Amino acid sequence: MANGAEKKKKSAASLFFEALGKGFKEVGVTFIEGDIKTKLSFLIFGLGPILRGQILIGIALLCSEVLFFYYMAGFGWQYLSKFSTLGTVATKKVGRKTVYGDNSFLILLFGVLCIFAIIAFIAIWYINVRENRKEELLLKQGKKLPSNKDVFLSLFDKNFHKTLLSLPVIGIFVFTVLPIVFMILVAFTNYDKNHQSPSNLFTWVGLENFKNLVSFSGAGIGGTFLQVLLWTLVWALFATFTNYFLGLAVAMLINKKGIKFKKLWRTILVLTIAVPQFVSLLYVMKMFANDGLINGYLIKWGIIKNYIPFWTDPMLARITIIIVNIWIGIPYMMLIATGLLMNIPEDLYESARIDGANPWQMFRSITLPYMLFVTGPFLLTQFTGNLNNFNVIYLLTQGKPQSVNLAEKAGYSDLLITWLYKMTVNDTNYRMAAVIGIMVFVVTAVISLVVYNMLPSVKDEEGFQ
Amino acid sequence: MKKKLVSVLMTAAMGATLLAGCGSQEAAQTATETAETVAETATEVAETAQDTAQEATEAVEEITDYGTGDIKVWVADNVVDFTNEQIKAFQDAHPEFSGYTFTVEAVGEGDAAGNMITDVEAGADIYAFAQDQIARLVTAGALEVVEDSNAEAVKAQNDAGAVGAATVGGTLYAYPLTSDNGYFLYYDKSVVKDPSTLEGIIADCEAAGKNFYFEINSGWYQTAFFFGAGAELTYDTDDSGNFTKCNSTYASDAGVVALKKIAEVASSKSFQNGSAVSNATNCGAIVDGTWDAQAAKDMFGDNYACAKLPTFEGADGKTYQMSGFGGFKLLGVKPQEDDNKLAVCDALAAFLSSEEVQLARYNAVGWGPSNLNAQKSDAVQADEALSALAEQLQYTIPQGQYPGDYWTLATSLGDSIISGEIKADSSDDEFMKALTDFQTTCESYAQ
Amino acid sequence: MKSYKTKRAIGNAVGYIILILISIIWLFPFVGLVLQSFRSYATEYGGMVDYLVPKHFSLDNYKFLFDSSQTNYLLWYKNTIIIAVFVSLFQTIIQLCVSYALSRMRFAGRTFLMRFWLVLGMFPGFLTMICLYFLLKQFGLTQAGAIPGLILVSVASCGMGYYVCKGYFDTIPKALDEAAMIDGATRSRIFFTMIIPMSKPIIIYTALVAFMAPWCDYVFASYVAFGHDTSYNVAVGMTRWVWTNDYQGYFTRFCAGGVLVAIPVTLLFMFLQKYYVEGVTGGAVKG
Repeated sequence: MANGAEKKKKSAASLFFEALGKGFKEVGVTFIEGDIKTKLSFLIFGLGPILRGQILIGIALLCSEVLFFYYMAGFGWQYLSKFSTLGTVATKKVGRKTVYGDNSFLILLFGVLCIFAIIAFIAIWYINVRENRKEELLLKQGKKLPSNKDVFLSLFDKNFHKTLLSLPVIGIFVFTVLPIVFMILVAFTNYDKNHQSPSNLFTWVGLENFKNLVSFSGAGIGGTFLQVLLWTLVWALFATFTNYFLGLAVAMLINKKGIKFKKLWRTILVLTIAVPQFVSLLYVMKMFANDGLINGYLIKWGIIKNYIPFWTDPMLARITIIIVNIWIGIPYMMLIATGLLMNIPEDLYESARIDGANPWQMFRSITLPYMLFVTGPFLLTQFTGNLNNFNVIYLLTQGKPQSVNLAEKAGYSDLLITWLYKMTVNDTNYRMAAVIGIMVFVVTAVISLVVYNMLPSVKDEEGFQ
Repeated sequence: MKKKLVSVLMTAAMGATLLAGCGSQEAAQTATETAETVAETATEVAETAQDTAQEATEAVEEITDYGTGDIKVWVADNVVDFTNEQIKAFQDAHPEFSGYTFTVEAVGEGDAAGNMITDVEAGADIYAFAQDQIARLVTAGALEVVEDSNAEAVKAQNDAGAVGAATVGGTLYAYPLTSDNGYFLYYDKSVVKDPSTLEGIIADCEAAGKNFYFEINSGWYQTAFFFGAGAELTYDTDDSGNFTKCNSTYASDAGVVALKKIAEVASSKSFQNGSAVSNATNCGAIVDGTWDAQAAKDMFGDNYACAKLPTFEGADGKTYQMSGFGGFKLLGVKPQEDDNKLAVCDALAAFLSSEEVQLARYNAVGWGPSNLNAQKSDAVQADEALSALAEQLQYTIPQGQYPGDYWTLATSLGDSIISGEIKADSSDDEFMKALTDFQTTCESYAQ
Repeated sequence: MKSYKTKRAIGNAVGYIILILISIIWLFPFVGLVLQSFRSYATEYGGMVDYLVPKHFSLDNYKFLFDSSQTNYLLWYKNTIIIAVFVSLFQTIIQLCVSYALSRMRFAGRTFLMRFWLVLGMFPGFLTMICLYFLLKQFGLTQAGAIPGLILVSVASCGMGYYVCKGYFDTIPKALDEAAMIDGATRSRIFFTMIIPMSKPIIIYTALVAFMAPWCDYVFASYVAFGHDTSYNVAVGMTRWVWTNDYQGYFTRFCAGGVLVAIPVTLLFMFLQKYYVEGVTGGAVKG
């Protein structure tokens, strides 16, 4: 994952190795030049600091070492040792009773956790060595070490960020990083409905799932994948820009001089943000059904003879989704535009008017450039958000209509994300879901990186201040 | 004397288990080769110990202490109260199970299988499900084989179709609950004059501006046309729920007749895809099952009527009777790690699927029994919807096992018709091509 | 001059017509929802119909929702409120902490952390559902414990959504901090006594957004709570009424339930709309 960040600077790899070499050198020097306290600290974390009176730091280091060994010995090792096979003991019957064998899922999950624990252990060991080195050097220079109280208080001043960030970082690690690494690994296993823990084992299969993704013959899903990907991109483009321009238009209309009850109009529009989507979208879904309210009234009034297949015709379903999305999305853009439009200096328009510009020209040459410049990053996040816009698609069509021409139960209105969801929940086809998930990431990341670097308003982050 | 021997055996067995337990724990903590061998022997010892322990338990069946535990039961929302009452009766009749607490949760028959497969451990101990899920559940290890004596009783007391539906390979995996998962026609008497032909029904609906509901994008309802025209689609399974062979004749003249007819029906302006009364508006006739009987009565009011499925006239000029699946609801027991708990689950599942309870369930919520004696009771015989179903069942085939992929494939086929990818005026070759693709894909599900 | 006035009048009239049309389109589904909720499932019909106005108005659907012997709706409602309140509280606190650290302090690994989180955010959330489920299960936070479980998952990952809040902090001049530090104030003192009191709009915005999200959480909530009716939230409980075949004729009850969910959330939103606008506008510009 760090790749994304690393790629930005080409020299990142060499920098990394340079730092690594420096680290090794420092460790070596510390050991050779260190006193007995330091040398012992190489095995017993924090011993040096404790003996030098840095109780707090010492105990924290020691605790992490104890915790690590406690975890590995009591719990982690039994999973890590089976990591290479993901378990070999099959579930069996003893009489009528079931005796479950290895649980591949837990082996993979806790195996990953163990690997992280080992990395963290090495990192803490390194911190431990450096802390010893730092203290020794300070003492050699005849300076005093900071008191325990100072160390503690620095957590609220100089080191306040450590206090603030420790919980969120741990939370993100356990509930985001760990699961993501886990699911990336699942893409290389055969974990699916026929290999379901705890009754059945699953195991590593290398790149087989990725081969399936790019296989266009027979049971391969390559063709379907491309079709779903294409619709995902088309959808995101339409959803983003229709909302953007229509939202802007509505905002300008309401902002127009001479229009009264501005607040009332805005409040009516904003309803779609306020009402939970599972209520509003499910109702709209029923409304547009073949036998729903809209068709019912249109037929009753004699406007049409046969119902309009809003959700069952592939093309119409896609169009209807985009239109309903306008209903959901315009208000959001309208709110943003309303605030920003007021920031445009009125005299710009005034002088344009004196030059004889008509409203359209003024929009083209003043309003639009300004808005596009200011909201560039917003457009990008909207676009990537729409790539993964689950709610609108799922609550309206659940990806339907399906077709014999699409593999793996994909439908014509499926986005990658809804397809992934159906694979996970309906089919428990985790192996392919993981592959699709990785693809979603790749698509999002590539688009974000390319577009982000093209944005005019992207400057040095500090420049905002 | 016998008792004493048993207790000696049991002590020995327990001691062995304890030892084995310690051994395997130590083994887990050290990582040498010797440890592995120790672990292996330890497991072996444990196994033999368990075997002995089990023989011991069997030997002292009469005085068994069933211990304590929680048993979770999943049934559809509308029978939760009913099931609670029955479980109470069960507890009263079996004081030896007093250590167990029972909880009933509302999980629909559709969701139950999915949830069980997601996490077997957190799933219910006993759960009701529709039979089309059984193979999937067996593969995922979510169904325990029905205990031998119960299995004999189930086979003797329930109709053959229901027993077949609960069997995978040659093994009975579930207890039949109902035999009413089939479909037939509900219609509005004031709209449909003669429900005996499909063409007539559609014409009547069109004339009255009413909708005719048939869920053609469901693999379950579709077969009414295919089987009716004489095409076949069945699967063979082995004991562990894997599909070994697909017997399909969809890519045939009979298949073309059926698919063409489906496309023709779908092109009617009164046609609506669907099979749920509550989602139906302006409905003249609907093909649906007994579970919707009450809703259909509410919807049609005084004009409520039911009939077997109609006949249809194929493109070849012949008349075919619509067929379809006869389906069943089943009750399954999850594999257990504890013999005693399994025994309690077996007993409860047998009780909940017994003749009396099936009959009581019919009286409470109107579900048609699979038990032969219950089917003969006067109340069941007099039920309008159930008799329409009974009439229809003569033309259906009992639903066997189908892979989960079949259902979605069938949905895709139906969707392709609804969306006009396959049109009523397509050529026979186009129909044949769609059906050949369909059949090939169906065959690919069997290994 | 006169033609300018008429032109303007015509322009305004067209504007009003468009606005009225838009309003009708926007309100139509909500009016429909409310009207359907008054159609009795007992005496009229509880499923779908192709007419809008019920033949008789009745409160049967609402009575049903409040009758705990027939449905757990009130319990689901309570669950959702609990989740929303706690998520809102903790999420606000965590995002404030993260934003302050990233906006005000410079430390080793800061840019790396921000980039890393940005990249993490590009992975689709549903991918990790099964893993999160089993993680929570290890702590006993699924099924019966689903409510604390859902709170934990929402709160644990929310640190990554610091953008809007950090953007706001970035606009508070750094000179203020520096002046306070010269006076001997610690970082934590600055945070608690200076920055937080100045951040009322962004605090309200963060809390509001966090409060509204759980009302819509169907996907993960249904995955974590399956098979345990009493730990559903409203979205999970009620969505079944629309989709599953076990609930024939529950459509009007869904409408009524939807109305009851929408009212408080909408009122809260309308009440705090000003702060919401400030938040999204700021967030849009900062990116």
